[in-house]
Amino acid sequence: MNIEERYDEISHCNRCGFCQVACPIFRATGHEAGVARGRVALLRALIEKRIEWSEELKEPLFNCLLCGACTANCFPGVATADLMVEGRTEYLERVGRQKLHRLLFNHLLPYPKRLRMAARAAGLSLKSGLSNVVGALGLLRAFGRDFPRAQKIVKRLPDQAFRDQVPPGVLEGRGELRIGYFVGCGIDALCPDAARATLGVLRTLGRTVEVLENCCCGLPAMTYGDLAATQAMAEKNLALLDQRQFDAIVTDCSSCASFLKKYPTLFPEGDPRRQAAELQAGRVRDIVQLLPQVPPVPAVKPGEKLIATYHDPCHAVRGQKISREPRDILRSLPGVEYRELPEADWCCGGAGSYAVYHYDLSLQVLDRKLDNLERTGANLLVTSCPACIIHLSFGIHRRGLPVRVCHIAELVSACGEGESLAESGTAQCTAPAGG
Amino acid sequence: MLDAALLRDLRQIVGAEHVACRPSDAEVYSYDGSLAVAKPDAVVFPADTAQTAAVVRLASQAGVAFVPRGFGTNLSGGTIAAHGGLIIGLTRLNRILAIEPAGRYAVVQAGVTNLELQQALAPRGFLFAPDPASQKAATLAGNLAENAGGPHCVKYGVTTNHVLGVTAVLPSGDVVQIGGPALDPPGYDLRGILIGSEGTLAIATEMTVRILPAAESLITMLVVYDDVADAARSVSAIVAAGMTPATLEMMDSAVIHAVEASKPCGYPLDAAAVLIVEVDGPRAGLAQQAERIGQLCLQNGCREVRRAKDAAERDLLWAGRRGAFGSLARLAPSFLVADCTVPRTRLPDALTQVAAIAKRYQLGHSNVFHAGDGNLHPVILFDPRDPDQVQRVHKAGHEIMEACVALGGTISGEHGVGTEKLDGMRLVFSENDLEFQRQLRAAFDPQGLMNPGKLLPPPVAVPSPPEPARGASADDPEWTPSDVAEARDLVRRAYLDRQPVLPLGNGTHAGFGNRGTTVAKPLRSTHLTAVTEYDPATQVIGVQAGLSLAQLQTTLAEYGQWLPLRPPLGQQRTVGGIAALNACGPERLRYGAPRDLLLGLKFISGTGRPISAGGRVMKNVAGYDVTRLLVGSAGTLGFLTELIFRIQSLPASCVAVRGGGTLEQIEAAAGWLLQSKLEPNWIVMLPAGASPGDAGSAPAARGLRWELAAGFEGFRETVEAQVEGCRGGLTQHGLRLGAAEEYPAREGACQKAFEALYQAPFVLRMDLPPQRIVELFSNWRELTCDAELLVDWGCGRLTAGLVDLHADAWPVWLAAAAVLDANVVLEKAPDAFRQDHDVFCPRRADWDLTHKLKLALDPHGIFAPGRLPGRR
Repeated sequence: MNIEERYDEISHCNRCGFCQVACPIFRATGHEAGVARGRVALLRALIEKRIEWSEELKEPLFNCLLCGACTANCFPGVATADLMVEGRTEYLERVGRQKLHRLLFNHLLPYPKRLRMAARAAGLSLKSGLSNVVGALGLLRAFGRDFPRAQKIVKRLPDQAFRDQVPPGVLEGRGELRIGYFVGCGIDALCPDAARATLGVLRTLGRTVEVLENCCCGLPAMTYGDLAATQAMAEKNLALLDQRQFDAIVTDCSSCASFLKKYPTLFPEGDPRRQAAELQAGRVRDIVQLLPQVPPVPAVKPGEKLIATYHDPCHAVRGQKISREPRDILRSLPGVEYRELPEADWCCGGAGSYAVYHYDLSLQVLDRKLDNLERTGANLLVTSCPACIIHLSFGIHRRGLPVRVCHIAELVSACGEGESLAESGTAQCTAPAGG
Repeated sequence: MLDAALLRDLRQIVGAEHVACRPSDAEVYSYDGSLAVAKPDAVVFPADTAQTAAVVRLASQAGVAFVPRGFGTNLSGGTIAAHGGLIIGLTRLNRILAIEPAGRYAVVQAGVTNLELQQALAPRGFLFAPDPASQKAATLAGNLAENAGGPHCVKYGVTTNHVLGVTAVLPSGDVVQIGGPALDPPGYDLRGILIGSEGTLAIATEMTVRILPAAESLITMLVVYDDVADAARSVSAIVAAGMTPATLEMMDSAVIHAVEASKPCGYPLDAAAVLIVEVDGPRAGLAQQAERIGQLCLQNGCREVRRAKDAAERDLLWAGRRGAFGSLARLAPSFLVADCTVPRTRLPDALTQVAAIAKRYQLGHSNVFHAGDGNLHPVILFDPRDPDQVQRVHKAGHEIMEACVALGGTISGEHGVGTEKLDGMRLVFSENDLEFQRQLRAAFDPQGLMNPGKLLPPPVAVPSPPEPARGASADDPEWTPSDVAEARDLVRRAYLDRQPVLPLGNGTHAGFGNRGTTVAKPLRSTHLTAVTEYDPATQVIGVQAGLSLAQLQTTLAEYGQWLPLRPPLGQQRTVGGIAALNACGPERLRYGAPRDLLLGLKFISGTGRPISAGGRVMKNVAGYDVTRLLVGSAGTLGFLTELIFRIQSLPASCVAVRGGGTLEQIEAAAGWLLQSKLEPNWIVMLPAGASPGDAGSAPAARGLRWELAAGFEGFRETVEAQVEGCRGGLTQHGLRLGAAEEYPAREGACQKAFEALYQAPFVLRMDLPPQRIVELFSNWRELTCDAELLVDWGCGRLTAGLVDLHADAWPVWLAAAAVLDANVVLEKAPDAFRQDHDVFCPRRADWDLTHKLKLALDPHGIFAPGRLPGRR
């Protein structure tokens, strides 16, 4: 990878500075190197040989959340997140790669069973040799940084990953479609309740629903600039999907959905893999896109008052342009009052494993999100991405707010089964208030 | 390179993590929104005013240059470190400190963005009028430094019209509070001179800004043209018809295409140009106004007039306009934005010339601009990686400035001079003018460390003035020059002879200010009475200083226009005198004061040089705002010879509404009125029994009843609806309504009250935040019950005519003023009193700056010595 190839695109940043208003990192640091204009200026300076590749560039390249808010505010449309990924690739090539990443991207994420084992290990003991890996995946966020307090919620981690509970395979449904359920790593290991809810919804829509034995979609590797590892994972998943030819490939992780839709861009024009990727990418749906087809049912038990608000995952609102559907669903739920979250489309700071490497910064970003959450007075925070669910739950727990976090599929599914939301929700990640 | 000890000290002040000095830091702080580039040695991020001051003091002691910076959206190179040194980043000063709807002001820190303030104000139904297109990312201190405009300033004015006070860190590191919620602090208009000074005189760390209630209703129209010149003509036609739309924005075909390619905003791709016209105000009559504008556009050749049907459509139109520059970045890797302003009627000529220049240099260009102000933004596209193109772009940019100046315009309407337009400064200013501005700068920053290399081109030899002609004699008891050349000669002689002079008009306020320390020879402007320029279509008039306001209004009335000023005793006063004292009546609430209405002026400086300040265009940020410095300077800085005002169409209807009640009822009613969607032109309170037209009986006998009066002016149907709304509101607040009465536009409704009041031997003026007026009357009743009073509730100004002012009552007034954050000045007082007392009080820390400026700009102290606050 060579960033010089992107010189023309980089030179289209005319330094208007509009990206500053939308960048959660810049709003936390106030430093130009932490915003698209500055990051892109550094790439330009590299190309124009005013600065050299060095450790100094690590922060500017890696403290970007890749949330894409800058590009949404950029009239020339400079794709800073993509440029950062390419910059990271070159940085790792020139300045040095981390061993941990190699372990993670080459030996763990491509193998779903190993990953589930790692997650179990996390549940059992933080001191196991795998805890580094778990940390790299962002799982440790669920515990927080200070260990004693974290221990209280360790036992609340799922004992079993979703695909340990429901083994991959084909299930019958009541609908029309042939659906493949792509199970994201985060959903699998950390939010099995959400996964079960999604499965319930899918069985009302599909004639058959296959729980796929897919591996990681590849986004974490891409985020760290490892294109080869990303391609390997994508190829593995595409091979799996090619054998099946589903009507729809559905996932309840907005990050996976967004990235699966981008699979074609991983391969050069004319590459046969690109064609295969295009065919499958066209079938990918975020569960949020299918939920409007599921009839809403009364949600609230007598005496219960639910005030819901919604956080837009970056990979839903910008990655897939999904913003209306989840709000329509929430507004249509009987007995649920919906309140819009100020700056709902701002990144929560989770951003995959971002929070692990930029703990303090991610907390500053999260604080802004939580301030806005408190302003709504909501007691239910709904979203559609496991990384967001974990990070938001962690923040809510730290502040001791009386708010539950749940995946939107759980909400609809819970409605469907007439179960009280007070008893459901992604409780694994949400310790009791003040706990 | 900075030395290690300095870096260590900086880290000690702000914390190690807030000092950045690695090569990558220098790289990302080497640019702003312009084309200019220069690397700083270090970037420092102070947390508050105290840290900012400490950093500045340190830099100043070390002799290191420093540059204040907000979010770096500047379009003229204003925030780069042209001479290296420190960049002081103000992004951490990001809190809104207070919002006072009842006093119509807010207090903010420097690094709050314009949009953040707007968002905080919106739920309360208020707004901050300046709205630069970059408002999302532009900080308020940056708005202040550049005197930012924006689409809405055609109606609401620019930043200098909306800033009341500044907490400023001076280049020495001293912190001084300039102004505040109360209007017109005694001394020079220091906030006026800081605004638009491009970060070269002081760092604003906190600001008090004026806020306004959002209009009740607005209509946004997109007008589509097949010919750019038709669009430009429509703009002139609309303004000439007496309407002031909130915006008159224009974009040409190239911009439309760029915007639509980035984000479809609903602009027609086959149009040659579009105008975005927005009218706002009270609902009554607004639709008719929009209809009339549509008609005028059709008469001037537009193809279509579309109305935005809802907020979403309106937002989309504005999103396109605000993103215009960014969208152009799609077309080429870089572009130069020119920022010239021409008289509105010359827009078609300017556009033709810009096109010709671009063609001559074989460069792509497009136009997006504030047509209502005549502020053009021709955008020239190029690739900075090609040196030949770069050279052609700079030449073309300079020729565009030349062309616009030749059309009567200026080089920058709102983006500033920075480093990019230094060469252009000589197109609009003489070497004398520039030297005056250099002296001004040196008075603030003798070491020249603050944002060096900006705003003023390096000096060349200044020609010394010719020896004064031997016309008038030094023995004459007073001087009345018959023309400007003679005035120049006389002042030059006074300078050489160290002869004190007292600039005068008709002498109605000859006794203003402190009593002089020496006898000064009257220098009268009364023979300078020419109208120097008047083109009714551009709504600008230039007149010599000795013309009386009455004569000026008569000239204007022939074309249905007027200068919207009604100062006390106004008709007899000369325009020079009015400008020198910044005199106005309560209609300032809507129309502004002379400081808001003056576009430019000319004067003879303390060294006898003719100086020209400002210009004749609606927006002008070229150089320091010397116009604002001279306005209100009471003849202590120069002898005014010519004034250029922006003027308006006479209102069709003026109606006053009155209601009587207790002080508490009136406070509630006035507070309501100031926050309502009604748009009163003035609000005053008088002791009951007096009407604004009649001062009435002795105050002591009047008891505690008061009367509130409010005036509404404009189109008849709008006024009628507002009068109705106001009467309803006053009744609801328990006021007993009087009859609504029409009054003449030129005289207004308060002249008689002022005349009565000015018959008293003492006239005292107190300026204070409006929401504290009641406190004055409750706590200091003994001071106020024995006076003829007029309380300007809209502007927060009490004028009192006192039969006597005992020496022991004066300190009580001053104590009251200190408690209320008020300023007090005796506008009129017998010589005996003035002999013993400073008539301006209480003493303010910023007087030192006033005195420094006086010393620098009037080095022999010839103009009205002793008159200033502090008796300088």
